[in-house]
Amino acid sequence: MSLFSKRTATSPVTSYLSAFSKNDPHAVDDESSTPASSLSSSTTSDSEDTVIYDDDIDNADGLALPPRPPNSSEVFSTVHTEFGHCSNPKYRYLSQHTSGTSIPGHDDQNPEPPYYVLLSTYISYLLLICLGHIRDFVGKRMRPAAYRHLMPSDGYAPLNSDFDSFYTRRLKTRMDECFGQPVTGVAGRTIQILDRISPDFNHNQILTGSRTRALNISSYNYLGFAQAHGGCADAVETCIREHGVSTCGSRLEGGSSNLHVLAEALVAKFMGMEDALISSMGFATNSTFIPALVGKGCLVISDELNHASIRFGVRLSGAQVRMFKHNDMDALEALLREVISQGQPKTHRPWRKILVIVEGLYSMEGTLVNLPAIIELKKKYKFYIWVDEAHSIGALGPHGRGVTDYFNIPPRSVDILMGTFTKSFGSAGGYLAGNKDLIDSLRIRGHSGAYAEAMTPPVLTQVVASMASIMGIATPTMTRFDSSSTLQPSEAYHHPGPAPMSTLPTWLCLPPHLADGSEGTSRLRRIAFNSRYLHQGLIKLGFITYGHPASPIVPLLIFNPGKMNMFHRLMKDRQTPIVVVVVAYPATPLVSGRVRFCVSAAHTKEDIDTILRACDEIGDVLDIRHGVRPRWTIDQVCARALDLVQLS
Amino acid sequence: MSSTTESLNALLASLGQAFDKIPGSAVLVRYVKSSHQNDPGRTVLEVILIIFAIFTLLQSRTRGNDGRHFIKFEDKEIDELVDEWTPEPLAAPLNAFEASDLAAVPIIVGHNGPKPTLARQPTKMIANLASYNFTGLAGKEVIKERAIETLRKYGLGSCGPPGFYGTLDVHMTLERDIADFLGTEAAIIYSQGFSTISSVIPAFCKRGDIIVADRGVNFTIQKGIQISRSTVRWYDHNDLKSLEDVLDSVEKERKKRRGPLTRRFIITEGIFEKDGAMIDLPKLIELKYRKKYRLILDESISFGTVGRTGRGLTELYNVPATKVDILIGSMANGLCAAGGFCAGSQHVIDHQQINGPSFVYSASMPALLAVSASEGIDILRSSPSILTKLQQNIRVARTILDELDCISVPSHPASPIIHLHIRKPTPTLLHPSSAVSAGHSLKPSNPTSVLPREAVNWDWDTDAEERALQQVVEEALRRGVMITRAKRLRGQEMVEARPSIKLALTSELSTDEVKKAVKVVAQALKDVLRK
Repeated sequence: MSLFSKRTATSPVTSYLSAFSKNDPHAVDDESSTPASSLSSSTTSDSEDTVIYDDDIDNADGLALPPRPPNSSEVFSTVHTEFGHCSNPKYRYLSQHTSGTSIPGHDDQNPEPPYYVLLSTYISYLLLICLGHIRDFVGKRMRPAAYRHLMPSDGYAPLNSDFDSFYTRRLKTRMDECFGQPVTGVAGRTIQILDRISPDFNHNQILTGSRTRALNISSYNYLGFAQAHGGCADAVETCIREHGVSTCGSRLEGGSSNLHVLAEALVAKFMGMEDALISSMGFATNSTFIPALVGKGCLVISDELNHASIRFGVRLSGAQVRMFKHNDMDALEALLREVISQGQPKTHRPWRKILVIVEGLYSMEGTLVNLPAIIELKKKYKFYIWVDEAHSIGALGPHGRGVTDYFNIPPRSVDILMGTFTKSFGSAGGYLAGNKDLIDSLRIRGHSGAYAEAMTPPVLTQVVASMASIMGIATPTMTRFDSSSTLQPSEAYHHPGPAPMSTLPTWLCLPPHLADGSEGTSRLRRIAFNSRYLHQGLIKLGFITYGHPASPIVPLLIFNPGKMNMFHRLMKDRQTPIVVVVVAYPATPLVSGRVRFCVSAAHTKEDIDTILRACDEIGDVLDIRHGVRPRWTIDQVCARALDLVQLS
Repeated sequence: MSSTTESLNALLASLGQAFDKIPGSAVLVRYVKSSHQNDPGRTVLEVILIIFAIFTLLQSRTRGNDGRHFIKFEDKEIDELVDEWTPEPLAAPLNAFEASDLAAVPIIVGHNGPKPTLARQPTKMIANLASYNFTGLAGKEVIKERAIETLRKYGLGSCGPPGFYGTLDVHMTLERDIADFLGTEAAIIYSQGFSTISSVIPAFCKRGDIIVADRGVNFTIQKGIQISRSTVRWYDHNDLKSLEDVLDSVEKERKKRRGPLTRRFIITEGIFEKDGAMIDLPKLIELKYRKKYRLILDESISFGTVGRTGRGLTELYNVPATKVDILIGSMANGLCAAGGFCAGSQHVIDHQQINGPSFVYSASMPALLAVSASEGIDILRSSPSILTKLQQNIRVARTILDELDCISVPSHPASPIIHLHIRKPTPTLLHPSSAVSAGHSLKPSNPTSVLPREAVNWDWDTDAEERALQQVVEEALRRGVMITRAKRLRGQEMVEARPSIKLALTSELSTDEVKKAVKVVAQALKDVLRK
């Protein structure tokens, strides 16, 4: 296998260091900002991840150091392994919907693979299922001890019967090396995986004790705020000293702190809504607040691909549920006409209310909700809208405010904006934003308020600091009133504008490049560029991808279950290891197993090149290129990245 | 006329030929013929079966699209109906009491602890008896230092679910620490304590399985049971005799129906969140082994608060934790960190790694919180004096509270949370659990209903009691003691719990401080309730 052999090493450290001085035209006349000092400005020297250019850095994988050494005009405040260094202003793009263009649905943009691919995929699954049953049949007779926990014994029914667990045991176990990979360190641009081996066909995974640094195209780190160094981490450290680690209780009992109040006010401003509330877990934001809004006699209309947390919440609520075809607005309208005219089943009474729940960006498909169409439908059919922006908040829109920002729709035309802080903000938990009465009612009636632990101070601080960096902080300008000559700081907030000082904790002190919002803006532009580049690049290389070009989630279709394992391993075992997420049935339909790339602002253009090159090589080996023709060569794609991004 | 018969015959003949051409048709014909010959009734039966099968297949599987109830409308009519329809507002606005309740929630400025600073503080704070800081881990400098160290190595968020590069080495360490601490084979951590058991229950209990649960279980267990769609039977709150009766009746029912052997679970709490009562674990375990049930035990309150080193009920009663099949605890309550865990055998844990909804579909816990929890376990393990101190404070508080005649205390003497109910002047209205002994009902409650039989005798005025207790809370705060009512989701709970004040004791206060604080509470209770 030539693919496993290591390619020639990229720039070794010694040559890197010599190139360093050559590449630095300002070195002599501008001594105040030498690169070394700018790089180490926000990092502590005792840390493991600190990248100061010492001689002992091993850059054999090309991940630790940028391919081109920086010159002194480029000041980077981030650690390259956490957040890649990229100062080229061309590699930026504005994430915005061009009004007048159509929003692709789901089916009309997905090219079909050749029939032999579908056929072989079905045969693969059939074979796996047959083999599994044969092994079970023989195994139960030859080695009954190994099956004891699946069989009734001693008057107990098995916790997990052989039938229920068949899929897990006989199909998933075969590809367990792709799942649950333990990691360590920051889930930033790169991530360190703990190497593991399985001596017994994936039944046990043994950690070998060594680590491998890999390019991370899998974490939901859209804006690259997963950082152990920098302004946000500094703020969190201050917070731990000031507030401790826990708030000790639920929001309504003894666990509310002033940080919660501040953060909720800031989140409301960020979303452009009247009020917002914060919950300590993203899953629970859906699962414990939906039941507070709808119940018996209400109808929930849910997209068929909605996240499990939404389904969980709807099931708890006791409301009726109807589903419509993924992102299909005609199907939604037909369903609305049917349910409103028919009323409740059997009794035909009118529904108390109808809540349409959609996601802003679908995590397995990368499709963007057709929000303008839904808002139009809302005018006629008077339903309420709940938009789950778990993946889209921060990642989309010219100001990072999610799908409403991307489509330039006033956020208040949506009733409830829900989202999580896990993804773009590098934190944890979730929020709900809406009008004040609604949010107050949810504070009292949602399950989380009374019973669930409140969000902890460090997590809140990460939210506040990263959100303020995206928004920028308004410098309190003095406005002179006509009548009197007194100066008053203006605190008015205009959506989407910078965050007023009053919404931030007094002790929060962000470095200038974060406080003025310049880095936030640059991050938004970088993720928009990276997403489009990877998406269009893969299409030009002949792969079948799903989703909207603006989406940072880029699914690449692999189809056959056997190839998914191989794809994962081939990516991981490269000279520059890349970790990827592969998803198969039941998370996706049987025939559309895929690898899901999650692009980040932390990636540089060179990182995307690396991923494209890897896909290009592996795509031939695994025969997964079934997309459009004519195709471009990989060198064409890398060289014409700027043209690609402008496409569509 | 004859021409139609002819053409019909021709058609039949050609159909017959076509049928003969299908491979295997001869076998089918022979089978039908011979079976008809043997038993003509069987043919009729089979035809009916085929029709039934086709009918079932053709029926739509989704609800709502039910053919019988579907009314056909013209487009214009639908438009009119759409125009006429006016939905209710999305959420009803808060009523006056709820609004004042929300406004009265204490907001802590800065560090939470035994004597926090509040945003609206009338007087100097004497003690905080509202926050869950049982063993004082919230203020430990060593935990903060470890958290900061972790932050500098891992950043804050994990940016992914456990299955997709969200499993950190510190998570695995914490799982190992919990399993070692409790003495179980393995453990699994969830990123929110509240969402742990409501996810664990549906991971194991499926449709057709049997759950026998206490009537007084907390809200999240109720939700877990609801989502599992299992068959539920209820037994009287903290009454093992009632449990045994219900187990017997379930077995009788199964024998009568000759049903298959399904999974059977007993679900209860170690210390009940609703009233602080404690179960008799050894007896419960003896019972579950005898009746061949599995035990799901929620130790969210008891883990980290009872037992010599805070291992919970299993340590208190000296029962090996391996005897509890599925043990759930909360790192947010017991360890002042965040999240929850489930401990049990390796099979139990492995199963959840792909079947626990809030484990699989949620981002994993931030690294620094996991490390804080590990550090908390270390502290508990190495300094049993903290737990002694906590228990001592609980005793001090109980001595004062038990003497009050305006309240009744349903909590167990060792429970770190102490619930206070208003005692009615008439002696007939005692706490629900004592109502049985008062001779109100000799017949056992109906196991299929979550309401106990004596519920008809419950005549407390929820609103009035809530208001009175809120006055007590505010009065106590005016005198420098922060306490809280037990907040409930009225209208959403299966059984409406009696309004109560919930005190949470902590080891961080000295005995004198606890004495002083509880006396303040007692005085506030007397002053308000005697009015």
